Amino acid sequence: MSLRIRLLAVLSLFCVIARPSTAADPPLPPEDVRFFETRVRPLLIEKCFKCHGPAKQKGELRLDSAEAIKKGGGSGNPLFVAGKPDDSLLLRAVRHADGVEKMPPDGQLKDAEIADLAAWVKRGAPFPVAAKVVGSDPAKHWAFQPVLRPEIPKTKDQPSTPLDAFVLAKLEAAGLKPAPPADKRTLIRRATFDLTGLPPTPEEVEAFLKDTSTEAFTKVVDRLLASPAYGERWGRHWLDVARYADSNGLDENTAHGNAWRYRDYVIKGFNADKPYDRFLLEQVAGDLLWKVEGGRMKDEKKVGPTRGSDSSFILHPSSFDPVVATGFLALGPKVLAEPDEKKMELDIVDEQLDTFGRTVMGLTLGCARCHDHKFDPVSAADYYGLAGVFISTKTMEHFKKVARWHENPLATADDLKRKAEHDAAVAKLKGRIKELTGKNDDPAKAELKTLQAELATREKTAPELPSAMGATEGKTSDVPLLRRGNHLTPGAVVARRFPVVLAGEKQPSLPKDQSGRLELAKWLIDPKHPLTARVMVNRVWRWHFGKGLVRSVDNFGLIGEKPTHPELLDYLASEFVRDGWSLKKLHKRLMLSATYQLSSAHDLKAATADPDNRLLWRANGRRLEAEAVRDSLLAVGGLLDRTAGGPALTHVKNRDYIFDHTSKDKTTYASDRRSVYLPVIRNNLYDVFQLFDAPDPAVPNGDRATTTVPTQALFFLNSELAARAADALAGRVLAGNLDDSGRVRVLFALAYGRPPTAKEVERVTAGVATFEQEFATETNAAKRQRKAWAAVCQAVLAANEFVHLN
Amino acid sequence: MNPTFWPSRRDVLRHTALGFGALALNDLLAAQALARTSGLSGAPKPHSAPKAKRVIFLFMKGGPSHIDTFEPKPVLDRDDGKPYPGTRPRVVFAKTGNLLKSPWKFNKHGECGSPVSELFPHVAGCVDDICFVHSLHGTNPAHGGAVLKLHTGSDNFVRPSMGAWTAYGLGTENQNLPAFVTVCPTLAHGGVNNWGSAFLPASCQGVPIGNASTPVEQAKVKYIENSNLTRDAQKKQLDLLGDLNRAHLDRSGPDAALEGRIESFELAFRMQQAMPEAESIAKETDATRKLYGLDDPVTAPFGRQCLLARRFAERGVRFVQVTHSDDKVQWDQHGDLRKGHAKNAREVDKPIAGLLKDLKARGLLKDTLVLWGGEFGRTPTVEGGGNDGRDHNPEGFTVWMAGGGVKPGFRYGATDDYGWHAVENKVHVHDLHATILALLGLDHEKLTFRHAGRDFRLTDVSGTVMKDLFA
Repeated sequence: MSLRIRLLAVLSLFCVIARPSTAADPPLPPEDVRFFETRVRPLLIEKCFKCHGPAKQKGELRLDSAEAIKKGGGSGNPLFVAGKPDDSLLLRAVRHADGVEKMPPDGQLKDAEIADLAAWVKRGAPFPVAAKVVGSDPAKHWAFQPVLRPEIPKTKDQPSTPLDAFVLAKLEAAGLKPAPPADKRTLIRRATFDLTGLPPTPEEVEAFLKDTSTEAFTKVVDRLLASPAYGERWGRHWLDVARYADSNGLDENTAHGNAWRYRDYVIKGFNADKPYDRFLLEQVAGDLLWKVEGGRMKDEKKVGPTRGSDSSFILHPSSFDPVVATGFLALGPKVLAEPDEKKMELDIVDEQLDTFGRTVMGLTLGCARCHDHKFDPVSAADYYGLAGVFISTKTMEHFKKVARWHENPLATADDLKRKAEHDAAVAKLKGRIKELTGKNDDPAKAELKTLQAELATREKTAPELPSAMGATEGKTSDVPLLRRGNHLTPGAVVARRFPVVLAGEKQPSLPKDQSGRLELAKWLIDPKHPLTARVMVNRVWRWHFGKGLVRSVDNFGLIGEKPTHPELLDYLASEFVRDGWSLKKLHKRLMLSATYQLSSAHDLKAATADPDNRLLWRANGRRLEAEAVRDSLLAVGGLLDRTAGGPALTHVKNRDYIFDHTSKDKTTYASDRRSVYLPVIRNNLYDVFQLFDAPDPAVPNGDRATTTVPTQALFFLNSELAARAADALAGRVLAGNLDDSGRVRVLFALAYGRPPTAKEVERVTAGVATFEQEFATETNAAKRQRKAWAAVCQAVLAANEFVHLN
Repeated sequence: MNPTFWPSRRDVLRHTALGFGALALNDLLAAQALARTSGLSGAPKPHSAPKAKRVIFLFMKGGPSHIDTFEPKPVLDRDDGKPYPGTRPRVVFAKTGNLLKSPWKFNKHGECGSPVSELFPHVAGCVDDICFVHSLHGTNPAHGGAVLKLHTGSDNFVRPSMGAWTAYGLGTENQNLPAFVTVCPTLAHGGVNNWGSAFLPASCQGVPIGNASTPVEQAKVKYIENSNLTRDAQKKQLDLLGDLNRAHLDRSGPDAALEGRIESFELAFRMQQAMPEAESIAKETDATRKLYGLDDPVTAPFGRQCLLARRFAERGVRFVQVTHSDDKVQWDQHGDLRKGHAKNAREVDKPIAGLLKDLKARGLLKDTLVLWGGEFGRTPTVEGGGNDGRDHNPEGFTVWMAGGGVKPGFRYGATDDYGWHAVENKVHVHDLHATILALLGLDHEKLTFRHAGRDFRLTDVSGTVMKDLFA
């Protein structure tokens, strides 16, 4: 893997080097390219482009391409005298020589910077072109263009669905044929894991085999989509890109004691098929929806820019969902003990902005914090325009170390009433106690004692008001562009706005008294937004097929990959919007296609022409994800506890340290509930998840890796979980009154969803006999049998077929 | 037609040197195609001839005071109790008062005459092998940020640790052991991120042997032992597993991922033997045990950690980290400096010297880079009322290296007269990282990984290789 990346890095470097500044020029020497890219280009971007770049061309001068530099400014004088830096107009200007306009006007460059420019001119001012953007206007990049519903292509063979027409057209053009359809057992196993993250039960497999109607598979998909396990599976996918975690991680690993509310909100949303546009709207601006949707405020005047925790909502409990949804913005990792408070605030905003950009738009906005984006048409001004929206949003109570994040209160009127009653009672008790304290008569002493005991009891049972990490409005303000991202070098203030390449030059200005999040969310879910639907449709495709149509699922920018099937992507995106952003309809559209139902059969011709299966000539084989590995082990052993929802952390209170200086790990995973409900601890993810490539929960990741390392094998061979699952499975296998071959059949049905071959029956039965001998010292025959079968079951669970989908 | 896209098991085996015998097979196909067209072989290779083949990082959690250990400040002694005349940093962790001289005496040692305080009498005997850097700076004023910055180069984002980058760049020398091992690491202040692989392949991640709350003699790699089955029984289980897998593979057709997974079980079985062997010190002689201080309860825990480091290093592990951390922030003497630093130094001094001597005697020091240091130094000004504490100081502090191609008996850089700011030959954390990678034969600007739209490095966009430190 590293080899490939390293080679690619070397090759791509070579591309840059080999690409001349214009087609006619010879390639630039690598040391020139290096010098320019490390010393000159950053300097030009930082100090010159503001006035002589893509946006402005003062004095008709641009400094952002070889041609422009050659052309010089409006005066007609050449900028350089080749090889003679001292005579060059450019050098004279930056040295503030007489008779030349002093550049930059707002302060002379450092000596070292001037020396770099001189050295550059001496080399002949080589100006390499970045490989990716040569000859094209980045604003014309495919992903920034409107989604147009394409024509369904004509094919020689009859496609099953419009989706298949797009795939088939490409295959036919390449002279390839799709693989034959998968058999029914393979298909139901694939679909069940895809939609629920669990293996199909033997009964479900049998029912599907028996159903010979043309609607049989549709019925399976409908059944799976209606199962609560669907939301648990697909909610987890979303949590990957929302970098969900139950702890802060980074420097001060404190407990996100209420993060589970967001997790449950996501799972519920998927199960209810909440339209995706609504889902996003709530996550970005749910707290602001009350205005539109009639949530009542406790005290309207306190809403909005008020800082403090008392700007509480009183909403009907069911309408807390949008408030909880804003946890999306608040759940990121934060350096809570950063002594530089301004830096902390800006780092937190950056994390929110970058997550927002990558998760919903596939854009790496964070790159533009320190300079204009190197590849995408996102300027630093675009970044700070958006940063203003986030800085006007409050997700933190304060930035003092250790900083404290904000939580939105979720109290119902009843909760508040109970709390008020409690507070009044306590106040009354305290008052009376104060009166009695110091009195010496016996009745007073006795009363005091009683009251103190009552106070202690009451304080112990104080009603805790529910709350959730999330966003509310802060103090609305625009932020200055920070040079090199450093708050100690602020530039001009940028009005809050959205990136120009997507939202245009002329944007309605954002409200003065609100952050602009509501406007941001509405802009995002506008059906005309070129990225929102495309990015999500591609994510869903990736989670079904193993690879996205755009393989760089989190990056739709210029350096991301181009779609293998651009028209198909647009077709799916436009259908998705037409279907009212229904994810369940999208699942059906994908899964009822012939493409989804292909087998993974190998074909030499196709494998030679398209080894990476970019044309989708067959199904991709896939290993189960971490959660599915664990859940399946528990499921086939009959151990899986299907309790849904609720708090993840039982051992620490909200905001307490998960890890303090003692390094003692008190987190417990001793639960047989589905993996999605286990704690997600940043800095110390559950080792089983880590082992099987669960992504780092500190960063959004829509494209999990699949590695194969021996420590995974050690888990299957030696872990308590694998042994327990194997033992439980052995118990199920031995439960019926069957002979050994019957037992092997039960075992294979449970573990693999198919009957064993005669050879397999023979081999497994022989294995049982071997282990019976191995455990000969066990005198209890039933125990010996159980142990022998458990050893065999463990091998069956460790085998490729258990964790690999065809 | 030649189906070159499907590697045989032999091909797969040849490519398993990517750290922990990694078989990242989805990418292996592409890697092979490229390797074949470019004529390069599969294993990662250094960019230039390496001076060091491996690193042992002795991490002193909490921030040992440079001005009380390895960088004497006569002017500070002179001005004890007076206000600090220089400029204080814009951001400090805690408020501090006037200057506080070091309670410990310094003496010159060895032929090189490097000064060492009374705190480190044993290390003082090794100074002719040591290259001191007195001008490190640029971590962070708080523990979390500073520990992360020192280990990963970033105090605000999740990035791979330097051990992970090393594993990524060089792979392992021993297929049955991981490329990166961390002995009793702290789970606080960044925790796993400090040995994590972030976006690098999972196989580059450090494998923890226990953690700071585990007694070192109980520290083990997870899942390495089986309490239910004998080795012989497990072999039989693997035979059954192998047969099931082969039958499955016959049905599926050629598949690199499936073949790789079969291989991973065989590797795992071998690792089960290799790891406990490496973790056990049963065969070490009494002389060796004494050298590391295992005969003294005060030095035994860290001594054992250092001895494990040597055992991993000689078995081909690329990066071994040893953390000195108790259940508090060990070296963090905001108060109680005299007692705290004396205790901490006593625990590590003899084991560190033992490690250096042992590596040298075994001929390992020449290509093993030993790095010693904490996440920051401490202020020359006093913290707290007892006239006995110092605050964090990331502005200038000492780390040292030995072996692995650095100048022996050498001192580089300096802080100001009081020891607050690095002033002479300043070395930023990024420079230290660039230098360590350079000693390993890795160019910090070429060791990149494409992630989230750009190529990432350990040194971000900075880092200068400090060639002055090279022997």
